[in-house]
Amino acid sequence: MTPNGAIVFGLVVVAGAMLARDAGLAMLAVVCIAFGAVEIQSRTLRALTWSAGIVAPLAAFMAVVWIGIVGRAPDEIAAGVTGSRTAAMAHVLTVSGRLFLVALVVQLVISRFAHLTPLQFIRSIAAPVTVKKLTVLTLSLIDTILQAVDRARTALIAAGVVTPGFSMRNIGHGFILIQTVWLSVITIATGRLKDKWPAENTLARLDHALSSPSVPLGCADLIWIGLAAVASAVAVAVR
Amino acid sequence: MERVAIAGPNFSGRSETLRARLGADGKSFFLGPYAEAALSGLSSTVADEIAIYRGSAQRHATFPADIAAAGMRKPATLSGGEQVLLALHCFSRSDYGAIGIDTALEQLDVANRARALDYLAVGAFDVTLADNRVEQAPAGWSRQDTARTADGFSLDLEGIAGALKPRTAPAIAISGMDFSYPSKDIFRGVDLSLAPATIYRLIGDNGAGKTTLLKLLVGVLAPARGTISLDGTPYQPRRSGNRAFALATQNPDHQWCGATLREDVARRRNALSGRGIALPSEEEFAALSRRLGAKSLDNHVYELPLVARKRLSWLWPFCGAMPWAMLDEPTIGQDRDTRVALAAAVTRLGERGYGVLFVTHDDDFAACVPHRVLRIGGGTIREE
Repeated sequence: MTPNGAIVFGLVVVAGAMLARDAGLAMLAVVCIAFGAVEIQSRTLRALTWSAGIVAPLAAFMAVVWIGIVGRAPDEIAAGVTGSRTAAMAHVLTVSGRLFLVALVVQLVISRFAHLTPLQFIRSIAAPVTVKKLTVLTLSLIDTILQAVDRARTALIAAGVVTPGFSMRNIGHGFILIQTVWLSVITIATGRLKDKWPAENTLARLDHALSSPSVPLGCADLIWIGLAAVASAVAVAVR
Repeated sequence: MERVAIAGPNFSGRSETLRARLGADGKSFFLGPYAEAALSGLSSTVADEIAIYRGSAQRHATFPADIAAAGMRKPATLSGGEQVLLALHCFSRSDYGAIGIDTALEQLDVANRARALDYLAVGAFDVTLADNRVEQAPAGWSRQDTARTADGFSLDLEGIAGALKPRTAPAIAISGMDFSYPSKDIFRGVDLSLAPATIYRLIGDNGAGKTTLLKLLVGVLAPARGTISLDGTPYQPRRSGNRAFALATQNPDHQWCGATLREDVARRRNALSGRGIALPSEEEFAALSRRLGAKSLDNHVYELPLVARKRLSWLWPFCGAMPWAMLDEPTIGQDRDTRVALAAAVTRLGERGYGVLFVTHDDDFAACVPHRVLRIGGGTIREE
């Protein structure tokens, strides 16, 4: 399978999930699990667990709000009917199911190409170099923030301002962590922009690093994209 | 090919001279002292960093670096020395015609530094080097001198050392300590005793775990197994907080707790007062920071030159609040006079009863400080 095929597969599943409900969502989940079983084998379980873990807090929050507090589904509110907690629960399940599918398909695609570095993956995508560069810069910004978080943690733990684990002190001093991270991000970015990048014209190097001949979709790509498209169409039809 | 060593004291415009020589036309590789100036910042892995710099036609002999094999590691997680080695490797795979190095080689261990200087001496490219440990330009290099400017930051380390209050640092005992990063084992079953009020130098190859040991002692990292005690009392900094070690980090920007020195000191005071640790008064901190070159506690630390920030990072170990001082590569970027003054001040710390753990690849600096040596490598720490 090619990265382009996996991305199209993911986009089709996400589009289907946004329109599907109940049985349709279950059908798309089956396609995703089948994709995982074939393409990443035992790592599918990890992808499922990770996706459930990501969605669970939001699902719990929605359950409290819609089932516990509001007690009606949004479409019931729009129609001006009394409504029921059962309908609210169905609404929460649908939204949570959609989010779960999105998280799952992203995780499956990432796991499928875990052997590639981020640059290799982006390089192989069929997209204009500008889009690829923007993707690299976005990842760079994320990495910079993570680096700044690590710096800030080092500074504040060594000084005793925050603790390594959860504590009331950390809640009280959360704003110090945010300020320190922000200052670190600025320092790191300034350091690059002032010294490194102007001398090297570093960004221009991405043109060469990201250009690659386009790879046509393979048989496996077409099969998975076709399966996802059929499942999405059926899922939309049965909603 | 032109090889130039820029020589001069701190605040004499060496970095500006170096940047001016490189120009801004994108034809030179720049290697600065810390991650943001050594690495591209565009890659998430070591392999990607190398791929970004790989030229369409490699023009130089490859600078071999073990770290190039650690393809999936995040560049920012490498030690300072490893980052410099990676940057040199990237340059060697690129098509740049010149390289400028601003004090970065000071982070390399003796063998790697010699290898790097040998590589720079014979490559078919221009080199501009600012390095405090190159006193004489090597054969075949020209020398460009810079002179101190009038608005330099004054430094009075003698005054700081003279004002230190005596105390007795506790003995440290580490027993059966294991620690690993996801991609690398660092310590396996380490047993170590550090005598009270003694100065230790940590040595080892780049990436051996010197900074990691300091981070374990202050509680930033947690050992997978093993115990630490101070004077026989169990010490768990990750649970009870760091109450014994004042850390000056290799990159000074890894230690600020605020935007200004006043904010930094206030936050540390607030954190430590709850643990019964007394800090000097604000007036004493103001006097200390003036002696380290800050005009006022209200200086924004991030707006000061890097060399000045590095000096201010010593404020914490030298304020006397903690019985053990930790100095990670304290001489990076510092000229000869400053290194001599710092060596005398560190010696004074030991004489006043403080314990000191310092990491440096600067043998000349270390030779000026009476110390014991701890060698880190192969998962162990042993005293030599």
